[in-house]
Amino acid sequence: MDETLKTAPPEAVAPASIEIDHLDFFYGDHQALFDINLAMPAHKVTALIGPSGCGKSTLLRCLNRMNDLVPVARIGHGQVRIHGTDIYGPNVDPIELRKRVGMVFQKSNPFPKSIYENVIYGLRIQGRTKRSDLDEVVERSLRQAALWDEVKDRLHESGLGLSGGQQQRLCIARAIAVEPEIILMDEPCSALDPIATSKVEELIFELKKLYTIVIVTHNMQQAGRCSDLTAFFYLGKLIEMDRTEKLFTNPAEKQTEDYITGRFG
Amino acid sequence: MKNPNRFDRKRLRIDHFIKWFFGSNALLAIIVLALITLFLFREGAEFFPQNLQNLRNYRLAGLEYVGLMRDQIEAHTALNRSLQDLRLRQSNALLKAGKTPEQVTAALARFDAFAAAFDSSVDELRGVISELTDAVTEIKDKAKLREDALQQRKFLLTEGKRAEADAVPVAKIDFAAQLAPIKAAFPLYQKTSLVFRGKIETLLLQPPSLPVREFQPRFEQFQKAARAYLTTFPATERKLAEWNQFAPVPWHRAITSFLFGTEWITNSFWQDWYGVLPLLTGSVMVAVIALVLAVPMGVCAAIYVSELASPVEKQLIKPYIEFISAIPSVVIGFFGVAILGEKLRELTQWQALSWISGFPISERLNAFTAGCLLALMAVPTIFSLAEDAINSVPRAFKEASYALGATRLQTVFRVLVPASLSGIVSAVLLGFGRVIGETMVVLLCAGNRIAIPDFTQGVSSLFQPVHTMTGIVAQELGEVPNGTIHYRALFMVGLLLFFLALCINWLAQAVVRRYKISIG
Repeated sequence: MDETLKTAPPEAVAPASIEIDHLDFFYGDHQALFDINLAMPAHKVTALIGPSGCGKSTLLRCLNRMNDLVPVARIGHGQVRIHGTDIYGPNVDPIELRKRVGMVFQKSNPFPKSIYENVIYGLRIQGRTKRSDLDEVVERSLRQAALWDEVKDRLHESGLGLSGGQQQRLCIARAIAVEPEIILMDEPCSALDPIATSKVEELIFELKKLYTIVIVTHNMQQAGRCSDLTAFFYLGKLIEMDRTEKLFTNPAEKQTEDYITGRFG
Repeated sequence: MKNPNRFDRKRLRIDHFIKWFFGSNALLAIIVLALITLFLFREGAEFFPQNLQNLRNYRLAGLEYVGLMRDQIEAHTALNRSLQDLRLRQSNALLKAGKTPEQVTAALARFDAFAAAFDSSVDELRGVISELTDAVTEIKDKAKLREDALQQRKFLLTEGKRAEADAVPVAKIDFAAQLAPIKAAFPLYQKTSLVFRGKIETLLLQPPSLPVREFQPRFEQFQKAARAYLTTFPATERKLAEWNQFAPVPWHRAITSFLFGTEWITNSFWQDWYGVLPLLTGSVMVAVIALVLAVPMGVCAAIYVSELASPVEKQLIKPYIEFISAIPSVVIGFFGVAILGEKLRELTQWQALSWISGFPISERLNAFTAGCLLALMAVPTIFSLAEDAINSVPRAFKEASYALGATRLQTVFRVLVPASLSGIVSAVLLGFGRVIGETMVVLLCAGNRIAIPDFTQGVSSLFQPVHTMTGIVAQELGEVPNGTIHYRALFMVGLLLFFLALCINWLAQAVVRRYKISIG
């Protein structure tokens, strides 16, 4: 397995944005991730696929240290480096880290506030109050999230009044308002209808010009459509990682082939 | 008809029984509540006609007439009291300055002579008015006897004993004739009051100078008040002359004199008043003090336990706070009487606090003591409900906030508290309901003085003894004869409390309803 990883994917000539090095991860006594080695290049979309419970969401949450909020979660061994910095190092403030590594959740979760306040939440907690700056950020973020035209006349209405797909794009706008370098997406389309899904997928395609994106998905077609690289996980182990079209057309491992052809999982 | 399946029939019967059992329990609760409401209304509603009769007799028997004169005596007494207070302050200041008691008496000799002359100036007028007072109370007693007789007759008639009812003697009272000698005393009153005014005027012309200069403004204030007092006489005389014994008392006075009456006086030789305002003020004041203390404590504890505490702390704090609500209120009241009241008074005697007007406080048991204890009782209610509200905020909000780089405190104050605000508000309202209905603690610790606190005194008005609606019902209901106006008045107080609690609960529910919609 190590062999497949050492041969870095051709696209990854660009400097790797995220490097995961021999990572073991535990929930209490239960080991959730086994010796993960992975490099995700900048300005690419990396998809994590695999059956439920295989650890792909856990890995995603390791990247912005959201797992810190789970009392029993801990890193056993290994490193996660973002731009060469070990994010679990002693000098790293998880609050600062999360400003640079944004996240979009499976279920859209706008705050019970206005659309405007939702977008600038990240700026508000950084103490930025200048009205013109905030207005500018709101417009830019909503335009990037392809939501501006739909909501520009009702910015001060509740974010909970939007449709499911709009809510999810609002959450994306909220994440990019703080100008992160990396955006983590945890099954962002699993609660959306096909039309909303395709809008979010188009958005992902646009966003990768500006951000490095890591996306967890259950939907094989989605991984195929919008990702550059795909990593397949099974039972907490990384089975295979490669360019997306290679992994889907000519997987190196038998398990991968079985999974993507729907024989299990 | 034949049922093919025995088993089904049996199950039907069990279902039926279960439905009947639960339904009847719910029904019983509703019936009991309805009966309580009905009973309160039935006992209380009679109050208004009785109160109207009470007010009418006040006028018919001439109490209102003589009352106008008595008010003047009382105003004089109040002035006299302020003079005595001034005397005390001066002698204290002099003693503090190192004078011997003899020297103090000598220094204040002129002032004392002035005060004594002021005090005795009213004697003749008081004599006249006290005779009139005796005369009108006699009329009032007659009217009372007559009413009792009428009541008895009515009772016998409802029992169907017509002969006995007719046998009850009902004296006829000619109020006009009875009051004639009192009205005839008006010239005498005029003459004595003129003499009285003359005396005070001469006194005020030559006020003594005070040995302690710093009290001069106070003394001048007194003189000004005394002059203002003198100017009220012509108006009173005019009122007395114009007073009409048979002027009608409008029916709504029976309600307004209850709701807005500032006096609750019972078993008085003079006139009984049933004004709920002092009690309502007392109840609300104690409740507000309690809430001001309990809301920050309860809400902050809830935030701490649900968001910031470690699991061990959580396991310690939560049961401990909830345990407070298990302490019987009489025990808390006992603690207030035995310890807290005294400790609070000691605290106010502390030098560093002496700049606050009215400190050190004189009463050990007062609104603040009761408020502190009620706060203790409200904290568990507010804490539990606020914690539920905060916990019911979806986890997703919290995660979203953390993922954007918010700290724990930012997440609490920018997301969790706003999202659970309606829940917290309803927790506070229910805490208010808990506090305003509490009886034992206020009865033991609020001081039980039936008077509206003097709010002009600033902070120290919080430390005045008050009486409450719940306290008065508990205290007096056991002693009043069934069916009297006093008995009915207490029921009206209970009814008012009932409405207050109803409104608070309704408000809390309305707030929660809104909250559910906003979370969607």
